[in-house]
Amino acid sequence: MNREATADALGLHERASATPERAESPRKATLGTAPAWTEGKLGLRAQQEWFAAIVSTPQDEPAPVDARTASRLITASKTLSSLERIDIYRRGYHARLIECLVDDYPVLEHALGEEVFEALSRRYIARHPSTAPSLNYFGRFMADFCRTEALPEPGFAADLAALEWAIVLSIHAPTVTAIGFEDLSQVPIERWPGARFSVNPSLKILHLGYPANAYLQAYRQGKPAAFPAARPTSVAVYRTGRSVWRLELEPTMVTLVESLANGATLEVGLAEVQASLAHEAEQEIAKKISHCFQHSVSSGLFSAISL
Amino acid sequence: MANRFQLPNLGIGLGLRTKHYSTILEQKPAVDWFEILSENYLRTEGRPLDFLAQIADSYPVVMHGVSLSIGSTDPLDRQYLLELRALRDRVKARWVSDHLCWTGVAGKNTHDLLPMPYTEEALAHVVGRVRAVQDFLGTPLALENPSSYAEFAGDSMREWEFLGRLAEEADCALLLDVNNVYVSSKNHGFDPHTYLNALPFDRVVQVHVAGHTDHGTHIIDSHIGPVIDSVWQLLAAAHERTAGVPVLLEWDAEIPSFEATHAEALRAREFIGAAA
Repeated sequence: MNREATADALGLHERASATPERAESPRKATLGTAPAWTEGKLGLRAQQEWFAAIVSTPQDEPAPVDARTASRLITASKTLSSLERIDIYRRGYHARLIECLVDDYPVLEHALGEEVFEALSRRYIARHPSTAPSLNYFGRFMADFCRTEALPEPGFAADLAALEWAIVLSIHAPTVTAIGFEDLSQVPIERWPGARFSVNPSLKILHLGYPANAYLQAYRQGKPAAFPAARPTSVAVYRTGRSVWRLELEPTMVTLVESLANGATLEVGLAEVQASLAHEAEQEIAKKISHCFQHSVSSGLFSAISL
Repeated sequence: MANRFQLPNLGIGLGLRTKHYSTILEQKPAVDWFEILSENYLRTEGRPLDFLAQIADSYPVVMHGVSLSIGSTDPLDRQYLLELRALRDRVKARWVSDHLCWTGVAGKNTHDLLPMPYTEEALAHVVGRVRAVQDFLGTPLALENPSSYAEFAGDSMREWEFLGRLAEEADCALLLDVNNVYVSSKNHGFDPHTYLNALPFDRVVQVHVAGHTDHGTHIIDSHIGPVIDSVWQLLAAAHERTAGVPVLLEWDAEIPSFEATHAEALRAREFIGAAA
């Protein structure tokens, strides 16, 4: 039950004004049918709507414009047709958003393979276009999206995406200092039962159907791993200072931390843990409760105590 | 001539990139200033801001945005502006810049700098929006000329005329990207010096340089690799028209070590003479 540091990137999509140059299989822009053209000069709004519609059309589909209309909107250069010039923007649009998803989901990309992941990303972009100024949360629908897509192991892919997204969220959550045993020692013993613990605001507990954390860890260690068989696991993802941690939780820790996170007092939380261990020997129960609490604290899952 | 906004000449700066965070925080290299990508620090309360706060404590910071979408026909995003202003105040940014472009319409953001039609209608539209943004921010906005790969058939003026008139009519500042001038000049077939000659240099408060990628049929503003000599020469020509203006290197793909990136930025000294 060791916690593992996530040596991820520093938590930013490098949003730059540059046009991305993503290596991709050649996609030649093809013309499609133009929507009805209002005769006369197009106003600014109409020009932007036309341009945006072409740019955001998936690259393997014909552009929603015919040659005559394209040249009425955009001039040709000496070397490129009107549509080829617009297509530079279309390529840039998709490349930038694919790069963003690769940043968020490097292990999912590894698991699925670059080609499958790129195709998945293109479908994601079409289904969930960005509506925010920042790309920080663009990838937030990926886990649910994986469940609906024809993928080799959609359940595993969704769990892996959920784990990687939890890492992204922990990076953007407020930074707090975790409490430790020194802080606990300040609490008078008679106040312990009624003490309430605030969990680290970056903490997310995932209940997964597949051992996605073990797969991610193997990837980080450079050990090739096959798609794992289903096995339920609970994983805590959280951040202390600059470090993001992943911790596979035993059922007792899940019970305690979720209970305290829901506002229960320590007494109530520990009672719930005890109840979950009812089938075990009394001596073993005490040992497990003690270990569960101490491990939760030493791992940095709590950020404050209120009495 | 000095810029009319009395914004300082910060010297030679670098675009702040995550790859260099550790070097900057651990070694505190002597860099005149950093330009941050505003949107990277919006909608986050966590680690990105922690890093930025430490860097802003030690270096002057300027904010450079990519989602203002000043040319869009969608309404200005008030929430975005609130966040932009709050970030500016938080990191004590010396000024805020964005691009003469639009990034989306109908509520969608392409996260790309899409080209403006250069028409009287578009000019009036953008002038009004720049004024509104400046009123909101309470400080001048610097707008950058973008690289572009397409021109609208309905254009009634060239980009330099549009930009110059926009700056005068909206009373805004300009961020002159000489690499973008070069890229667009090749893509659209004009003389880059014609562009420079038309600009009101008393409004230029900052200059960008960068690398690009030549595909033969067109040039992409990829911010990859070192700055080519023709772009450095444009920097020299632009800088001559100012009384000293901060210069910044953008390097956004295949980013080398901090030392190599900074060394490339410092090459600007060869082209801006004693004014640096």
